[in-house]
Amino acid sequence: MTETIHQRANDLLKRKRVEPLSREDELWLAEHLVQCDSCAAADAQMDHALSALRTLHIHVPSNLASRTQMRVRIRAEELREYGTAHRLVWAVAVVSWILGLATAPLVWRGFSWLGSELHLPKSLWIAGVALWWVLPALAAAGVVLLAQKGHSGAAE
Amino acid sequence: MLDDAQSISRALKMRDPGLLDRLIEQYQFRLFRYLLYLTASRERAEDFFQETWLRVLERGHQYDGKWKFEAWLFAIARNLVLDWHRRKKPGSLESLAGPDEDAAAFDLPDEKSPTPLEQVLETEIRTGIQLGLERVPAIYREVLVLRFQEELQIEEIARVTGVPLSTVKSRLYRGLDALKTAMTSALGIER
Repeated sequence: MTETIHQRANDLLKRKRVEPLSREDELWLAEHLVQCDSCAAADAQMDHALSALRTLHIHVPSNLASRTQMRVRIRAEELREYGTAHRLVWAVAVVSWILGLATAPLVWRGFSWLGSELHLPKSLWIAGVALWWVLPALAAAGVVLLAQKGHSGAAE
Repeated sequence: MLDDAQSISRALKMRDPGLLDRLIEQYQFRLFRYLLYLTASRERAEDFFQETWLRVLERGHQYDGKWKFEAWLFAIARNLVLDWHRRKKPGSLESLAGPDEDAAAFDLPDEKSPTPLEQVLETEIRTGIQLGLERVPAIYREVLVLRFQEELQIEEIARVTGVPLSTVKSRLYRGLDALKTAMTSALGIER
């Protein structure tokens, strides 16, 4: 038998462990293994090795699962608490938006009245209205970001 | 047994602690073994084992149950190891846990064969496998372990490792070659 034939057998032996062989290759390989002791031995050795690999013993630390379960439960509790706080922040944000929209005409009129009483330029009291709207939102966003930063820091 | 991917997916979305307890019990051996082969260090494998389950808790909603839970679990574990490795030293799995690093991380083999002769032969082949695997480059060792130890499909290995099917196949071919060479050499040393 030539080296090329053994090489083909070797390639097919590898391939059959990775993907299905064509019917033709399968038949050729079976026939070759009957005739070639060294290829058959190599096949059997690899089969044995891979089967040994499946049953290879690894010692898992006895308390690893229980320690992990404990950490996971603590983290789950933290996430639940964080989730509640997070929902509360959103609820407050939604309510404040609704109130803000509802009271917008009153705020506008209030600032307009104040501007006329104090003889302020129109652009100044309009800027006041804008700040009245933007500052609380910016402060709230800052608080949420800080909370999130603290939360991810704790997670790490 | 928790083998229904869809029911695991639903329970993970609800962060069911009971389910997580059962999953940790069920997959402890396989996940630890996989991490041990990835990191070649028991301490690191233990750390990553815990981190993986915390990540499962936090990202459980991302598991859609379309593929096996263990493939998703191994993908999370693998990404954690790679992230850690990148932070430590930029690179990939290729540079992780090379053949010479912490080679004594794996345990001695079981000896459960019925007769003394079979026991000796079994011990020899298992020792050969262990030593052989330790000498196989990590990038090939990983796919060998996923395919022949965890018995994942090629498509699942591709998902876990994030590489195309053709790459998985070529790594398997090279891995089998490397294992064969390493085992022959390991058994030669042992004899």
